[in-house]
Amino acid sequence: MKICILGLDCCAPDVIFNDENLVNIRRLMDGGVYGKLESVVPPITVPAWMCMSTSQDPGSLGVYGFRNRSDYSYDKLAFANSGSIRSFAMWDQLALEGKKSIVMGVPPNFPPRRINGISIGCFLTPDTVKDEYTHPADIKTKITELVGEYPVDVKNFRTDRKDWLRDEIFSMSRKQWEVIRWLIREQEWDYFQFVDIGLDRVHHGFWNYFDKQHVQYEAGNPYESVIPDYYKWLDDQIGSVIEMLDSDTVLLLVSDHGAQRLDGGFAVNEWLIKEGLLVLNEYPKEVVPFNKLNVNWAKTKVWSEGGYYARVFFNVQGREPQGVIPQDQYESFRNEIKAKFEALPDDKGQPMNSLVFKPNEIYRKMRNVAPDLIVHFGGLYWRSIGTVGYPSLYVQENDTGPDACNHAQYGMFILSSPNCPLSGPYEGARLLDIAPTLLDLAGYEIPDSMQGRSLVAGLEKKRPGAGEDQESQKIIHDRLAGLGYV
Amino acid sequence: MNKKKVVVIGLDGLEPSILESMLDRAELPNLAKLRDMGHYGRIQTTYPAQTPVAWSSFATGTNPGGHGIFDFIRRDPKTYQPDLALSEFLPPKNVLSPPRVVSLRKGVPIWRVLTQAGVPSTVLRCPCTFPPDADGGKMLAGVGVPDLRGGQGTGTFYTQDTTASAKEHEQVVHLQKGDDLKSHVIGPRNPRTRPISDMTSEIRVRVDRSAHKLLIDTNGTPSHLEVAEKQWSPWVRLKFKLSVLQSFSGMVRFYVKALSPHVEFYASPVNFDPSAPLFPISSPGTYAKELSEKIGLFSTLGMAEDHDGHNNQRLDEDAYGAQCEAVFEEREKMMWSELERFSEGFLFTLFDTPDRFQHMFWRFIDPQHPLYDPDLAAHYGDRIASLYRRCDRLIGRVLEKVDENTLLIVLSDHGFNSFRRAFDTNTWLWQQGLLALKDGKKPGENTDPGSENVDWSKTHAYAVGLGGIYLNMRGREEAGIVEEGAEAERVRKAIEQGLAGVVDSDRQAPAIRGVSRREQIYSGPYVDQSPDLLVNFIPGYRVSWQSAVGGFAENLISDNTRRWSGDHIIDPESVPGMLFMNRPVRNGSARMIDMAPTILNYLQVSPPPSMEGASLL
Repeated sequence: MKICILGLDCCAPDVIFNDENLVNIRRLMDGGVYGKLESVVPPITVPAWMCMSTSQDPGSLGVYGFRNRSDYSYDKLAFANSGSIRSFAMWDQLALEGKKSIVMGVPPNFPPRRINGISIGCFLTPDTVKDEYTHPADIKTKITELVGEYPVDVKNFRTDRKDWLRDEIFSMSRKQWEVIRWLIREQEWDYFQFVDIGLDRVHHGFWNYFDKQHVQYEAGNPYESVIPDYYKWLDDQIGSVIEMLDSDTVLLLVSDHGAQRLDGGFAVNEWLIKEGLLVLNEYPKEVVPFNKLNVNWAKTKVWSEGGYYARVFFNVQGREPQGVIPQDQYESFRNEIKAKFEALPDDKGQPMNSLVFKPNEIYRKMRNVAPDLIVHFGGLYWRSIGTVGYPSLYVQENDTGPDACNHAQYGMFILSSPNCPLSGPYEGARLLDIAPTLLDLAGYEIPDSMQGRSLVAGLEKKRPGAGEDQESQKIIHDRLAGLGYV
Repeated sequence: MNKKKVVVIGLDGLEPSILESMLDRAELPNLAKLRDMGHYGRIQTTYPAQTPVAWSSFATGTNPGGHGIFDFIRRDPKTYQPDLALSEFLPPKNVLSPPRVVSLRKGVPIWRVLTQAGVPSTVLRCPCTFPPDADGGKMLAGVGVPDLRGGQGTGTFYTQDTTASAKEHEQVVHLQKGDDLKSHVIGPRNPRTRPISDMTSEIRVRVDRSAHKLLIDTNGTPSHLEVAEKQWSPWVRLKFKLSVLQSFSGMVRFYVKALSPHVEFYASPVNFDPSAPLFPISSPGTYAKELSEKIGLFSTLGMAEDHDGHNNQRLDEDAYGAQCEAVFEEREKMMWSELERFSEGFLFTLFDTPDRFQHMFWRFIDPQHPLYDPDLAAHYGDRIASLYRRCDRLIGRVLEKVDENTLLIVLSDHGFNSFRRAFDTNTWLWQQGLLALKDGKKPGENTDPGSENVDWSKTHAYAVGLGGIYLNMRGREEAGIVEEGAEAERVRKAIEQGLAGVVDSDRQAPAIRGVSRREQIYSGPYVDQSPDLLVNFIPGYRVSWQSAVGGFAENLISDNTRRWSGDHIIDPESVPGMLFMNRPVRNGSARMIDMAPTILNYLQVSPPPSMEGASLL
């Protein structure tokens, strides 16, 4: 069977499952199995999409976020690209079995993975005019013929110019879905995967106008309908793709993580400075990003990188160049720091209930340079601010531009396959279970490298139905009812 | 340069003879004014003289052979079964998709020609535009749009009278006794249940006897309404649940018939909700919703006027008349909402009400009709004329927006006449030995519509539709026996000669003028889908109710005793339409196929080669 995955980056289960205007999505839910999908730690686009496609955790992939330490030095942070993750993915299994795949915009996909089929660069593509962002190369020409300049992202989506942002997101998505339909209709494929990044951008841009619980929400604001409108737009696009599929297709709508409101930002490095764990030679006169700080590494024990969550790094003897923490004290020190993070209060003095993870406890393997701790401030209701120079630890504006939401640990999935023995709402599905489940349903081998389990393992698959009953004569005659002339 | 505009107002079924006498009596001042600006005359209708056929020829500029719509009803040669000819429901493309519907009208409609030429086009309620054409500009579909049951309009009668049972094309819901009742509105069929059951929307009905009204609570909008006796409610939006996750939206209007001795009320057919129709009814898809937000909710059903309700005596003359007036008003609002901002291109609006109204009220103006009653005629006899005056006032408003760059066309697709006597073509074919019934059955003995009673191995011809006769052709029909060539010719001749001038012995008058062969009247790519022969009835006569759906009446010719007392599916030469233009027209008679070239000519767009007529300008 064919596999078709329509990835909806950052799709929030509570939004998509509760909007009855999404008629195509509702029809899929009604005929399939759906529910929340527990994402990985950290629940971030990179590496979550590849965690899904490989069914391996971030540590096993060796990628802990967009930017990762290349080594144990203090300033070699590198952006992940397609070369950072070469682990065995669903499309590789298909290639092994002689089948072709189309992988469109599945991060990280620049430079475009040379798969058996078609590969199109994701939002990390620097310049779709200059760069070869497709494999094979001639696909780029066809895309340009179809939609002109191909947008992979809305650059500078963290902006105040909301009208512009909304229009850019919709315009990008229109072009991308045009290309999707062309690919599905004209190209050979047994596996198709697309990630709609517009949904992530629209959440980050407009969540505060939409979520009544958001601190910045104002009733009757002019952008209240932007997010629901985008979901409806996606529903229409999904409807158009459904029309083009064979009956013999495993169709999945899925997100890499969810979305939730941001109550604010926690200036983690400011806090580390206050705790004496991060020592600066010179405190900045204005707000300055971490990599521009004058850090006294000989006295610093802990530092952190900002983002939707915090990666926390220790300055360890024999590991970092000017390491301070003795190796035999590493674990007890780590427990201390973990407890401190967990005890943090919010801006009102109430417990922030942050979640702190030790990578070695949550990953099967730890490749490359893992953080020493991963922190979800306030369970991700607070983001992590890495910049320094704030008067308070609790910051309302984001240091990288206006951003209205954080990621949520749970994304969603809707799985529709004629032979799927599961139906209705499903609890307990995890991101890493997706690939084994799809391969199982579609009749492929499940590689040993995959860590998740097939949700339909051991269940007898349904035989595809005989199709709708023939209409009875009564129904035909009823079509003439009310004609008047008869 | 000033932009050219063409406004077309269709007044379905307006009969020239009535119109002309009213013009003579100066009762239609605006139409008279329009005539004096340019032209009034009769316009040839199509073979047959039916709404979807004629308007399709209007749209495409071709005879029916060029657009494929030959009747409201077609038959499947593989099963002999009748079905609606205007559109077809197809099973879902795959298990993930919803069911689909496709329009069966082919050919190139004028609105697609205009859109390709960059000329704005808005078409409101043209028949056979369900679903609307792609690349056809702005459209709202008309006749052909079904209700939520999938038919052309099935209403529901609610009654506490336990002896009441469903009549033709309606549903009956029995109510409990008392003044506080729970009931439901019947929605679409639920295809998932076995046996197939109905989706319903719950309502609660309480009787306020002192105020003579019903208080109805719904799960929709409005959630509470009060409807007085003999009154129609406004539109009520209801939800029908398919499952926990999916529901469909529909709209009804309630009419309270009586509160005693039994509580009796009526629900109109459940219309598509313009903001969430089950199938596309507008182009762009959001247009119907936008229109409803602008002018209020409006009937989306193709056959918007509930003639079955009136036929079944659930709605009396006043109730039916009130509903017709409401539909006319909705249509006028719709037209006006486009006309007031119309600055360029083509704007078409069809008012179907005159056709539906005359069908039901003809019995009040024809003293020879079997249902004619002098007292009722005294009361209701002026209503048709009143409707013509209403149309005249409508044209008066339209004339306000007509300037020197506007071509205004007002036309009807066919005329109207009395339907006094019903002729059963299948019974005639059986009498002639051209059709055989199984087991020695005779017409009338349990020979309901349906082909199970016909012995196809001995049948040379059969009738389905509002005037068509098909030969039972070998190689075409599933159980065909007639060979092309000499045998087919023999059968055709037998029918032609037998039917031409056939006499209604009870009335000592001829019923049928003659029979047309399809080769004589049609040309084009779709001729092979038409009936082989078309019966041209003389005014007063029409095909029987039974034969139209492939059934049989006991008697060859009987009185038509339904309230549907007027009709026009007779010899097209007897029911031309009427045509007004604010420009003079060339010599020669006007035909439906000339209208599209006329409009294109005025808008300076070349007609495609498929168009057969010529501009009247």
